Amino acid sequence: MTITEKILAINSGRDKVTPGELVWADVHTVMTMDYLGKQTFTQLHKLGCSEVFDKDRVICVSDHLVPPPTVEFATMLNEWREVVKQHRITHFYDLGRQGIAHQIMVEQGHVLPGKISIGTDSHANTYGAVGAVGNAIGVTDAAVAMAIGKCWFRVPETVKFVIYGEWQPWVMAKDLSLHIMGMMHWNGHLIYKALEFTGPAIAQLDMAGRMTLCNMTVDLGAKNGIVPPDEVTRQYLQGRAKGSWEPLLSDSDAHYEAVYEVNVSEVGPTVALPDKLDDVVPVEKVAGRKFNKAFVGTCTNGRVEDLEIMAKILKGKRIHRDVNMIIVPASQAVFLEAMQKGYLQTLVEAGAAIDTPSCAACAGIHTGVAGDGDIVLSAGNRNMKGRMGSKNAQIYLTSPAVVAASAIFGEITDPRTINL
Amino acid sequence: MKVKGKTWVASGYVMAYDIIIQKYWTAPIDPAENAKWVMAGVAEEFNRENGFKDQGYTFIVAGHNFAGGGKSIEHVVTGLMGAGIKAVFADSFARLQFRNAINYGLPFITCKGIAEICQTGDQLEWDTDSGLITNLSNGRALQSVPVAPFVAEVAQAGGLMNFIRKKIEHNTIAELQ
Repeated sequence: MTITEKILAINSGRDKVTPGELVWADVHTVMTMDYLGKQTFTQLHKLGCSEVFDKDRVICVSDHLVPPPTVEFATMLNEWREVVKQHRITHFYDLGRQGIAHQIMVEQGHVLPGKISIGTDSHANTYGAVGAVGNAIGVTDAAVAMAIGKCWFRVPETVKFVIYGEWQPWVMAKDLSLHIMGMMHWNGHLIYKALEFTGPAIAQLDMAGRMTLCNMTVDLGAKNGIVPPDEVTRQYLQGRAKGSWEPLLSDSDAHYEAVYEVNVSEVGPTVALPDKLDDVVPVEKVAGRKFNKAFVGTCTNGRVEDLEIMAKILKGKRIHRDVNMIIVPASQAVFLEAMQKGYLQTLVEAGAAIDTPSCAACAGIHTGVAGDGDIVLSAGNRNMKGRMGSKNAQIYLTSPAVVAASAIFGEITDPRTINL
Repeated sequence: MKVKGKTWVASGYVMAYDIIIQKYWTAPIDPAENAKWVMAGVAEEFNRENGFKDQGYTFIVAGHNFAGGGKSIEHVVTGLMGAGIKAVFADSFARLQFRNAINYGLPFITCKGIAEICQTGDQLEWDTDSGLITNLSNGRALQSVPVAPFVAEVAQAGGLMNFIRKKIEHNTIAELQ
């Protein structure tokens, strides 16, 4: 069996599962967040349940609506807080202790190798970074799991990506994600699949990069993305994991529906053009294109490592006067660490605005939304029309390194060409 | 059973974001309410109150990755149901909404090439037992992928909520394997 099949088998009390089979499996943690959370608890009550299955394993996070920009959102948040309090949820990451839910789930040790965690937001695929099955579900599935600790799953076929070669300077996991997006295309063959990332270049990747890679598998249409747990995983989880775990790995005779190889030595900084995620080009093809807004944050690229690479590029530099840059750390822990390491100081000195951790403009809800005519260079995850606000804005997606280098000049710039 | 009705055929990729536009993401889940603005972002003619619902469509026909783009919101499914949609036929469906559709008992039926034999306004007949979809307007027909037993069982119960509520009431949750 592949690692995904094994996790679904073990957590549903089976010796074996085969793709296409439908199983009810135990979930380790269920995450819900501010704007869908109240609906989730309402569904729970409609099931006739007044309590969740385990107060320690239902994780509640305020991320999409905080800090509230409108009276409507402030009121929604109050209702949300009330319902979380009513259920005496142990782990409630509200404003002040907040972060983007997927960052919180991994960083706070609520996701463990060999187990299943689900969340009511599409980027729950991020959890695969530690060797878990991370899956996005709707509020009904979340309510059922909160009631009985189980969720139904169709066992997916697994597609393996073997990544080898050497990571080139300034090339990040995001570039690999976008490269794979361009290689596979968005519509079609990866829908419902489990994507397994292996190979020597994955072994070299830190946890932040693994999170980026798994995060964007949902945007390939996949069911989940997963990196087999190794020494990097073990070290990352030390002192962090809430619960015990054992690593599960794919068997040597596991069946894969397809295997793709990518030589990462040939992957350079990469950009997705406005409107379509799979309309992907190497950065040099679009170098020189002007933009007026720069955005780095989100569950895809708002981690310490992302801010570190930006600080390296922007140290002693000034962001172009025609560019507004907003940086939103993915969690309070990220914010604090980036502050202690001096990255935030460097970025502020360069002329970036830093905002409190939240999903921010990524969902087009608040904090730097795009207006008519804006051209945004973003390190987020989606670029369809209207994603960040106005349908008359254009969104280019790329890595934090490309955003930082480009911000100096006000035009898309290959980070390999600048003098530091 | 045979279900007959008028179909709307998508001309391109239909995203969840356009079926329910952002303004309504935070609305309560209520088929009647969600139906008022369903499909508002898909075509300008639907971008008014009951714009889609008033057309009286029974089916939607689409290409690949119907309701894609990665939103988990269930309003997509409840909105279509509230607007009178009895089934969606497509080459493939985006995972999240495929799952939501199963949980609400709205048939999302995989049928390769269906968009090629239909035009908006055509009368279709869907045989829910055999899976045959016939375009009564031009006489052409295609065989769809059969519905999995679990999916049928959930639909029969009136959705996952009813399915689970009964199991909780009867103390038979342990049967779920």
